[in-house]
Amino acid sequence: MIREKLKQALEHLFPAGEAVPPAIVAEGEEPAEKTPREAVIETDYATCGYHLDIKTPPEQLIEVVSLIDQNDFFIESITGVDWIEEGEIEVVYDFSRYDFDLCRVVVRTRTDRDNAALPTITGVYAGANWHERETAEFFGINFIGHPHLVNLLLPEDSDIHPLRKDFKP
Amino acid sequence: MNQPVELQPDETFVLNVGPQHPATHGVLRVKMEMNGEYIVHAETVVGYIHRMHEKMGEVKPYPQFLMNLSRLDYLGAMGYSHCHALCVEKAAGIEVPKRAEYIRVLMVELNRVSSHLVWLGAFIMDLGGFTPLLYTFQAREHILDMMERITGARLTYCYIRFGGVSRDIDDQFIQSARDFMPYMRKELIKYHKLITGNIIFKKRMVGMGHISPEMCRKYGASSGVARGAGINFDVRRNEPYSVYPELEFEVPVYDGCDNMSRYMVRMEEIEQSLRIVEHALDQLPDGPVMPKKAPKIIKPPAGDYYQATETARGTFGVRLVSDGSQTPYRMKLRSPTYSNMHLFDEACRGLMIMDAMAMMGTLDLVIPEIDR
Amino acid sequence: MGKESIPESIVQLAIADDIIKIGRANSLWPLTFGIACCAIEMMATGGSRFDMSRFGAEVFRPSPRQADLLIIAGTVTKKMQPGIMTLYDQMPEPKWVMAMGNCAISGGPFAIKENYNIVLGADTFLPVDIFVPGCPPRPEGLLQGIIELEELVSDWKRFKDPEKAHSRQPSIRAQADKEV
Repeated sequence: MIREKLKQALEHLFPAGEAVPPAIVAEGEEPAEKTPREAVIETDYATCGYHLDIKTPPEQLIEVVSLIDQNDFFIESITGVDWIEEGEIEVVYDFSRYDFDLCRVVVRTRTDRDNAALPTITGVYAGANWHERETAEFFGINFIGHPHLVNLLLPEDSDIHPLRKDFKP
Repeated sequence: MNQPVELQPDETFVLNVGPQHPATHGVLRVKMEMNGEYIVHAETVVGYIHRMHEKMGEVKPYPQFLMNLSRLDYLGAMGYSHCHALCVEKAAGIEVPKRAEYIRVLMVELNRVSSHLVWLGAFIMDLGGFTPLLYTFQAREHILDMMERITGARLTYCYIRFGGVSRDIDDQFIQSARDFMPYMRKELIKYHKLITGNIIFKKRMVGMGHISPEMCRKYGASSGVARGAGINFDVRRNEPYSVYPELEFEVPVYDGCDNMSRYMVRMEEIEQSLRIVEHALDQLPDGPVMPKKAPKIIKPPAGDYYQATETARGTFGVRLVSDGSQTPYRMKLRSPTYSNMHLFDEACRGLMIMDAMAMMGTLDLVIPEIDR
Repeated sequence: MGKESIPESIVQLAIADDIIKIGRANSLWPLTFGIACCAIEMMATGGSRFDMSRFGAEVFRPSPRQADLLIIAGTVTKKMQPGIMTLYDQMPEPKWVMAMGNCAISGGPFAIKENYNIVLGADTFLPVDIFVPGCPPRPEGLLQGIIELEELVSDWKRFKDPEKAHSRQPSIRAQADKEV
């Protein structure tokens, strides 16, 4: 099964092993425990819609994505989420497969809200080009090494970041 | 084919295609650096119809966002509402009655047929043939009449709600759907006779516009682009959802990697959608179309949820991040045309501009879906 | 725009002007400028069921230099606005503008409080002559817009008595409903 194969391949990058799935804080509640910075978690597909959840620090991002690429996954989308309470922006990468050995992989990485910067994965997946441009313009993240990081959807000269939680039009 | 003359870099010129152009299927701009008729470098500029759907997803409560999904891809609107409803129902734990799921699938497949008919008419018009547009739009009117009787709208439906559908279908709808099958099958034969065997059409399509499976994988392409390159990928079969496991249909796959393969994939999809509709009508169960305790206020538990479905344009995905309140924290819409369009920049290098426009037609683009 | 203002000339031919105006009204050539969802209804109006060609308007011109009616069918965004201004400036006089759909009239369903990208209506930067409401408007609505525009262009009414203009043949749907 591809899921086992991928978990084994990722083991050397995540020596800590499995961890408790992180809980997203509901409105007004305090987080039960500090969410771990890096982990490989198997999730329940029926409740949340994906199989593997990989949390990685930005330094290891390209290695993780290269391993996923070597195992024949395709890039589905890149999402930015602004956690203003914690002062961080999370970027979520979705990968899936073309064959019938279904395995949805989600890679998450976090960066500071001020001076948000992440390495680019366009060297591994050419299709990440537009996804990263869109995430950059909506959240104000700098993807280091991106070949052409200009606005994609907003006008060329605009410098607003609309999807940040403190954006006022 | 003649090869272009080798020119110095400063001897190319930039041709601007769009945003107002009859062949760009919406407001799309492509800056092409040309060497005579050959494209050296193309850069797509999008964003001319960016309508802030994701921002609206963060400020509108769940039921108010239902209308946005139809405006994303207005030709195959039912499939998008279906995906979003499935995602929120998965998150909030709402049970959907069996009859409602069958009705949803019926509507989605009929919508898929009408979307492919518009694609066919517009694509052949791009190549220069105006007649098929009139035929396909006429056939499409039959489907729109059927759906308007039940849903109340011709194009932008708000029929699929959380828990089911808003209105039940009646016997007249079932009878007109059954009468539509033989009519559409005859029309398909007419289209094949009119278009597919045409020598000019074949010369423009066979062997032109090569998109390899590896390029599809790097860019995340789906639907006709991937299936026309030999990749057997259809979310309805690879990652089944709703009642598709109980319905009989095939997934057409052609491995020519050229324009003709992508065209044939979509023509076969129309036939397969008709099979699904027939089968679903045969198996339609009785029952309610909304659950008894339909929740008035939707408050999914805090968490991350993802749902993907196969729409007329490809794999559509909804990523929902909820914080337990009545409005989503983040609603990300993954549109198939975004990934399909992305590979155009790389795939059209070295082609003549007319072949590039033919290839753009086979990608089946709807621009508001790219810009969301 | 309303009535065009032609400078006074020494020789005025009233009958010729009237005939020319009726000719213009009966052959409005729209520009192919479908932006979003309303564009599909515009294409359906050009199809064979609703048939815009009965009113002389099926000849969609791709180039603004050859068109005299700009149908803004869809939402206008800040990125697209300079493009539309250029298209409007390139059209030769006399020209008219139709705002089709709620988005072109006032921003439509996208006019939210947190709006950062939508222009709230085409009439904020263009002189619009006809507004056709709907989301999207039915093809019959667009045809009604064209008929009203014809009256605006020349002083000639196509249907003197709208009641009598209704077809004597009941629609397909009415026939089917009767059979049920």
